Amino acid sequence: MKRTFLAFALLLIFTALLQAQSQFTGRFMGYNTAYLLPEKKWESGIRQPLRVGLSQKAEIYSTVLALPLTPNAGIKIAWGELGGFRFATAHSLSVPSPVLNMLSRNGIGGFISPEFTFPFILSINNSVLASRPLCYSALLTIKAEFLFALRGGEIDPQSTIDLPIMYPRMAHYYKGTSVRLAANVRAPICHKAGVEEGVEVFMITRSGNNFFAENTGYVYWKMCKKMRLKAGYNLSYGSYPFGNHWQLWPSVDLLLGNLR
Amino acid sequence: MISLLFFSCEPLATSFDDTEDAVLYQASTLRQIPQPDSSIKVMTWNIRFGIGRSPWFGDACGNNTVFTKEEVMPHLDSIVDAINMIRPDILMLQECDVASQRTAYTNDLQYIIDNTYFNYAAYVPEWKAQFIASDGLGRMDMGQVILSRWPITDSKRINLAARGDQSGLVNYFYLHSCIITGNIKIPGFEEFSVLNIHASAFATDDTKKKHYEEFKSMLDKIDAEGGYFIAGGDLNELPPGSDSTDFCFEDMCPGESFHQPGDDPQHKDGSNYTPEITWLQPLYDAYKCAVPLDRYQQNQEAYFTHTTRPGHFWDRTLDYLFTNHRWVKDSDVTHQYLLRYSDHAPVTARFLLKKEN
Repeated sequence: MKRTFLAFALLLIFTALLQAQSQFTGRFMGYNTAYLLPEKKWESGIRQPLRVGLSQKAEIYSTVLALPLTPNAGIKIAWGELGGFRFATAHSLSVPSPVLNMLSRNGIGGFISPEFTFPFILSINNSVLASRPLCYSALLTIKAEFLFALRGGEIDPQSTIDLPIMYPRMAHYYKGTSVRLAANVRAPICHKAGVEEGVEVFMITRSGNNFFAENTGYVYWKMCKKMRLKAGYNLSYGSYPFGNHWQLWPSVDLLLGNLR
Repeated sequence: MISLLFFSCEPLATSFDDTEDAVLYQASTLRQIPQPDSSIKVMTWNIRFGIGRSPWFGDACGNNTVFTKEEVMPHLDSIVDAINMIRPDILMLQECDVASQRTAYTNDLQYIIDNTYFNYAAYVPEWKAQFIASDGLGRMDMGQVILSRWPITDSKRINLAARGDQSGLVNYFYLHSCIITGNIKIPGFEEFSVLNIHASAFATDDTKKKHYEEFKSMLDKIDAEGGYFIAGGDLNELPPGSDSTDFCFEDMCPGESFHQPGDDPQHKDGSNYTPEITWLQPLYDAYKCAVPLDRYQQNQEAYFTHTTRPGHFWDRTLDYLFTNHRWVKDSDVTHQYLLRYSDHAPVTARFLLKKEN
């Protein structure tokens, strides 16, 4: 027990030393912060959207791989600083109907029963982000997000994909508005690596299956000048149609960009 | 926190050990148990997860995968009514959904316990997956059940051979055939074992044969140890000597073709019993079937328990009751009148108990 405690304490001290010495590329330009990418800079992941800095005031983004089946685009706008916090808002639109209709099929790949057809759905997402540097070069970001959908017709409530991560993100397509509150802290470990820890709660304005929470943790590793590996976990809890459920899943993404 | 992480690592599909404990249920209020004088009524029924004869995509040429609670509940009520009317003392169920997306997460078993007179039940999953990304199946938890008026002890899930004609990936998410076992002690009588099997329905290789061999070997073991048993379930096999052994045309869906030159496969999966027709003979040879083979062979239609075609009468026998002790003579009933309740008819018989010395 003592050895474990000693090893843990040494690890903490070592990490803190590294943090104090380092500067981590992308810390203030990261996804899910109130900071924008500088003009002509871009970054994209496989799952994370492509973000392109337009000016000091605006950044546009879109999940490129999903574009053919889920047309989507968004803009992040910087609003300046107040009380040590930098503020931004993000606004995006997406049309998930084509991908949902594609997943509603016979055989392998049929995430949704083929008996369901989805009408036109326009998902509208507005969020407010506030970021503030902390000690040890860390950055705190808090976010409030509001999502609702315009639907071209009724959607069968049994056509849901009852999986963690997916279900809460699709909930507002079916019924209610989704209110998400999130906070994350990211910090450098050394000049090649950083960590991020975050929590997010999802509240859906409807009578049941309306609360979800996620805790995420990532390590970023700068593999080369233009490439970073993001790997970690997603621990989720929520009330699903089948009951309350905990789930831990790994999470990996590869980020490309010209941040430096 | 670490234990939470371990508990939350639910895999996408559940794999099973060779032997696992069953999940035990008990009625919230225990009902009075009538003391049997010498025999009890036993029933086996594949309840088709409570969707009656609805056109499900998997077995009835249907287009539907999922059903609403409003669609499922009337069928479950019918099943409950039938059980309350027949009043078996021991009930073996197959295809019982307890938390599946296709049946709106209805817990068939809990509903049956709450609305019948049974005090105890044991459940084992046969098909359990967090998510099946095929045909919109989604989350699945279906299995086999023993319901009893008396306590069930030492109840286990016995895993049967995996299908040998599937790829590893498909098999990972597919159902895993099994047997549920349990022991029941009725005051004044010797304890007996109950074994409920749901053998593979669609295997095209020798998987089913392996299932029967595994089943028989368990029965042989109980028999050799001096025990006595009720064994039954949906064996998905015809009795030896059946007149009709190929149901490809009966089971054929629109757009399908079998038996014609160039058809591949030549036979519909699970519909051609011709090469398997003797596979149950060892069970008949060793133990007593509630419907004796000679009686079946003389009047086969009277004992048919299954059809895939909604709206049609039963066209084959797949459901059985066996024992190494004794059935009350001519006490068996194939409840063919329950045509709209499931794609299987229940079978009952009275089982003679051994008095305690």
